[in-house]
Amino acid sequence: MVNQRLTVAVSGIRQLTPRICEYMLTSLDGAKLPEHEAGAHIELYLRPEPGGQIVRHYSLIGGTGRGDDAPNTYRIAVQRERGRGSNFIHDHLDVGSRLAISPPRQAFALDRTDPHSLLIAGGIGITPIYAMLRSLARRKRSFSFFYSGRAAEELAYRDEVLSLAGERGQVHVSGIVEPRHPDLRALLAAQPEGTRAYVCGPRPMVEATRAAAAALGWAPGRVRSELFGAGSNVPARDFTVELRRSGREVKVGADCTILEALDEAGIPTLSDCRRGECGLCPLPVLGHDGALDHRDRYLSPASREAGKALCICVSRLNGARLVLDA
Amino acid sequence: MNNIAPVPPAQGFADATTPLVKNCWYIAGLASEITRAPRARRILGVDVALYRTLAGAPVAVRNRCPHRSFPLAKGRLEGDELVCLYHGMRFAPSGQCTKMPALPLAPASAAVRSFPVAERGPLVWIWPGNPDHADEDLIPDTSWLSDPLWASVTGQFHMRADYVSMHENLLDQTHFPFLHPGTVGTPDFVRSTLDVREENGMVIIDRSLPNSPPPGIYAMPMDMAGQPVNRFSEARFASPAMHVAFARLTDIDRPGETKREWRFNITHLITPETNNSLHYWWFCSRNTRLEDKAVDRFMYEGSNQAYTEDVEALQWITETILQDETPQLDLNFAPDKPGLLMRRRLRYLADLEAGLLG
Repeated sequence: MVNQRLTVAVSGIRQLTPRICEYMLTSLDGAKLPEHEAGAHIELYLRPEPGGQIVRHYSLIGGTGRGDDAPNTYRIAVQRERGRGSNFIHDHLDVGSRLAISPPRQAFALDRTDPHSLLIAGGIGITPIYAMLRSLARRKRSFSFFYSGRAAEELAYRDEVLSLAGERGQVHVSGIVEPRHPDLRALLAAQPEGTRAYVCGPRPMVEATRAAAAALGWAPGRVRSELFGAGSNVPARDFTVELRRSGREVKVGADCTILEALDEAGIPTLSDCRRGECGLCPLPVLGHDGALDHRDRYLSPASREAGKALCICVSRLNGARLVLDA
Repeated sequence: MNNIAPVPPAQGFADATTPLVKNCWYIAGLASEITRAPRARRILGVDVALYRTLAGAPVAVRNRCPHRSFPLAKGRLEGDELVCLYHGMRFAPSGQCTKMPALPLAPASAAVRSFPVAERGPLVWIWPGNPDHADEDLIPDTSWLSDPLWASVTGQFHMRADYVSMHENLLDQTHFPFLHPGTVGTPDFVRSTLDVREENGMVIIDRSLPNSPPPGIYAMPMDMAGQPVNRFSEARFASPAMHVAFARLTDIDRPGETKREWRFNITHLITPETNNSLHYWWFCSRNTRLEDKAVDRFMYEGSNQAYTEDVEALQWITETILQDETPQLDLNFAPDKPGLLMRRRLRYLADLEAGLLG
């Protein structure tokens, strides 16, 4: 599982909104791709020149309406944002382009035994929510669906998801100038007892949902969330890593983690979860000219304080030069 | 450029080598088998650990710790969580890891696969395929197994045979007088009129045999041995997991007399363990003499004898096929039509799951 990559070819492109394109990614030999469940995502490994590798996470949409995609094909949707990743995809991927992806990973699972599920999508956050909506509708489970965005024409899959949700679906258009944000607290308060909420959207929306749930006395586990653009939700900057033992220097771009940059440079590393949890990747820190930006959930406060180790899969440097023992 | 070769829609028939149909509700076990003591069972090639929560809900997770493959069914339950005996990793019924003692926080991305399950009367069903398709409305009706107007006897086998041959055996009634003389077979049955139809993915056979003595297994509970009755039966391949037969027997026409009616529902539940082995449960249900222990005993013994004969026959056939190095294309005759329709359906479902059909 560690670092396994698959090669796929773009087999179809569809413009969904002025800023969002849908891409069909098909295995080269037509063989089945690994199976996935609603909420799963893949990583795309992009290699724009110049600038080095970029890794981006995209949810698997799984199909259209009630139907599944062919087992040899994944469907993703990419919104053009500031930054290199999504622009590279929009500008350079054509039908036939090949690219490397990870197998599906699941960090936003739908609990199949919820008495009632509330799906909340903000903008491009619709992608995993669409897969969840399909799963719930197909299994005839109890759910509500809420989809909000700045403008009606920016809501990808709007007609498809509303037809799937039927009368349990609701759209909120907040407007671009003086936006009118949805009343998430009222939305949550209107749900039946025992509801679990799944929210995917921009950070303020996810945080507002969590705050509304807390204010209503919901246990934290009753809200599951995913931020879109998971790889780029905190601003990051370029820096250089010196690997003292191997006598090498590696540039880490703002779009790339230290781990990915070391992998790309052929430096042997250990990793598994790539989200700061498993504790396999930390490297000893020998020096740094800026603050260490710890983003993991593994290192204890004491070892962060000591500054002698860094989880290189998520953590970064707010500086120009980092020296690691590797 | 798309270098995918188009695959023509399959026209073929399933056999023992066809991939098992996964998007279907199968029996995980009898409700009575699934308890607070986790147990392992291999279902469609995957080892599954089965247990119940404190509230009594059945749970099925893959019997393999995602960390170092330790069989989770050998672990213990703490509340509703299954604890791996190797490193103490704990899993909620959803499969989500809730604790990894070696780490400060439970890794949010760690989970063991969990399977949709649903309890219906004496049965616990499991969906081994894509869980996003696990619609509980697709569970076949077995309401008579928990209906107080019916009484059932039951038994189970673990057998070395493929589920395609098993379904074919159940759809093939012309073997009854030869393999099961005395219990379910009477000589007349071979020549009874047969009507086959396909409906909603099922293969359904209707037979009627007026004015003929009932087979031994029904004659005793009906107390009609040797006496002519009208016999109607419907046997159906209900799903890859189930075959069910509904037998209805009535008095023959006698002017001025009210006709009595006896009904027997025979439920066969088949869960492939691998391509060449399966778990098999049968229920023989009747709507007459519900409290009569002698009838229970008689029907259990007769059914068990007949199904043991089927199991032996299918195991001999499997052995013959697996040991023979020279392939053979089996002949087919008119009465094999239901079996062939079932084989075509299973092949269609397997091809659909493999993505071979547009």
